[in-house]
Amino acid sequence: MVRLITHNLLACHVKRCTTNNFPLQLKDVQLALREAEFNADFLRGFMPRLEWTALVQAACQVGDDSLPLEAPEMVDDEFLKNLHHVLLEIHIEEGAMVCPNCQHVYPISNGIPNMLLAENEIG
Amino acid sequence: MSQYLIVFAQAHEEFRLPELLSVAELHHFDLAVPDDLDVTRPFAVFTLDKEEHARLLARRCILIKSVYEFYARGTTYEELHQQNKAARPKWEKYTPDTSFKFVVNGYNQSIPKARQREVIENFSYMDFLGKIDLKTPEVTMGCFEEYRDTVGNTRHKHEGDGNFREAFFGRLLEEGTARSLIKKFDVKKRLYFGNTSMEAEISLLMANQTLASPGKVIYDPFVGTGSMAYTTAHFGALVFGSDIDGRQMRGKGGISNISDKLLDSVLTDAEQRPGIMRAAAQYGVEQRVIDLCTFDVTQNPWRCGEMFDAIITDPPYGVRAGAKRLGRKKERGMPAVPSQPRPDDQPYIPPTKPYELADLAADLVVLARYLLKPGGRLVFFLPTVTDEYREVDINTMLCGGMEVIANSLQDFGAWGRRLVTIRKTTCESFPPPTFESHAEEGEVEGAHIPAHKDFRGKYFQGFKKEFGTPVEAERTQDGG
Ligand SMILES: C[S@@+](CC[C@H](N)C(=O)[O-])C[C@H]1O[C@@H](n2cnc3c(N)ncnc32)[C@H](O)[C@@H]1O
Ligand SMILES: [Zn+2]
Repeated sequence: MVRLITHNLLACHVKRCTTNNFPLQLKDVQLALREAEFNADFLRGFMPRLEWTALVQAACQVGDDSLPLEAPEMVDDEFLKNLHHVLLEIHIEEGAMVCPNCQHVYPISNGIPNMLLAENEIG
Repeated sequence: MSQYLIVFAQAHEEFRLPELLSVAELHHFDLAVPDDLDVTRPFAVFTLDKEEHARLLARRCILIKSVYEFYARGTTYEELHQQNKAARPKWEKYTPDTSFKFVVNGYNQSIPKARQREVIENFSYMDFLGKIDLKTPEVTMGCFEEYRDTVGNTRHKHEGDGNFREAFFGRLLEEGTARSLIKKFDVKKRLYFGNTSMEAEISLLMANQTLASPGKVIYDPFVGTGSMAYTTAHFGALVFGSDIDGRQMRGKGGISNISDKLLDSVLTDAEQRPGIMRAAAQYGVEQRVIDLCTFDVTQNPWRCGEMFDAIITDPPYGVRAGAKRLGRKKERGMPAVPSQPRPDDQPYIPPTKPYELADLAADLVVLARYLLKPGGRLVFFLPTVTDEYREVDINTMLCGGMEVIANSLQDFGAWGRRLVTIRKTTCESFPPPTFESHAEEGEVEGAHIPAHKDFRGKYFQGFKKEFGTPVEAERTQDGG
């Protein structure tokens, strides 16, 4: 868990941390690979929601360089397969996500990220 | 176009029609609601374009017991047989040499064997020449007598027509196969559950209201022990869950209730895995639970909106899993205490302030408008005091672009809860909601105060206007 799709959808939400608060940096991550069901319609439909550059970077950091640097206009099967693997099959089990702006550390344990803020961090 | 007789399971009347309409929408066909439909009755006749549509309903609706090709109905048998004779072209093809059986059933009253035989004999004009096969007939003809109440169910063997409200006749098309899922998702047999877990039947009905299907993404922001994650994932959807309390999703470690052997057979890298993932694996939907996150939904880290096809949730009523949000009750003048981010698997005694149910409901709708794709659905429970509920209560929590499409009461007597389904009708994008404090004291003069306002207080007061003795609280079904 903490699949890269999730990593791509979470931003630091500490109060007043509104710029450069995404993507969260991966730190000391332990990975697991698990097969997931392939669904081309889901992938095509979800692409517009993704921050592409952040996804490619995160994938590279965990050792997957199968994605093109720019999101392609035309998607083929091969591309969708790679996208599927990157989004859904790479799990971060342990480690942390760190805000590049305010340095807040969001720890991940047993696959669940703790995104709770401390009292002085809420708006 | 043909007519179909739907025989409903005897539960959750108000959920029957919303479920049919949802499943029809899911499969992209029209379901015309008959003018005379009375959902409190267990039989209903619908006109559908294709037989396949009737089958799709039977395979997905939790509240369908069976679906028949409809031939006749009547308040007397005379009327019913007259109609059935006129319907000859529909059943004629089964008469020459199709194996068959007849079943006669009563609703509210059971029909004595001898009279069942009489009823069947009165269909002899249909002239079925095939052989009778009680085990595996090619066709099953069903006759149902609907009684208004259970009075008079000890009947003399040779009594004539019972004094039924109406009788229905047709050919069995399909048994309602989705009902068996209620057993599959039985909370007591689940590897992980808690005192907030939602009963299986309702979790399934909720999942149907979301139109869960492969390729959809569904979110539960108060996921707790994950009851609705399993049912939506079962129907193929990908699921996100979050909760302010990580222990709800993880479990407190140590799994009671099941034998070690069973554990070993299901689990691989066992103990450490969050409880929700253990249960998801039991149901074979582990890979569809995309992620679980710990956060306060009013302080959420979602980077953008318009991501989800549906939001399904049982918000904290404040009865069992209290509604809370980060922050202190009297914040003003408090020095900001620098504190560390806290681990989410430790006992949690956070600085939280109570979260009024009416505020929470209104916030949830605004959040859903932000997070849902256009056309997406918000499906959630709203507890309410039965006597005080007014239709307008629901409107107090709506915002532009969000429309109520179903609202079904599950009645527990003094209180109940309403399963509300709201559709996002707007294609506009909205900024993320701010969850600003709602007017704390002194409501706007003349504004409608919904009956779910201060539900917790009313619950513990036993729903008496003033200092009454609390009624015995529902033990198993307060859901929250
Ligand atoms: C009624 S329970 C939901 C139960 C869930 N359907 C299940 O199957 O167990 C409500 C949940 O909301 C959580 N909760 C309360 N306030 C919250 C908040 N502000 N943000 C997120 N979760 C919250 C509680 O920890 C609790 O698990
Ligand atoms: Zn930050």
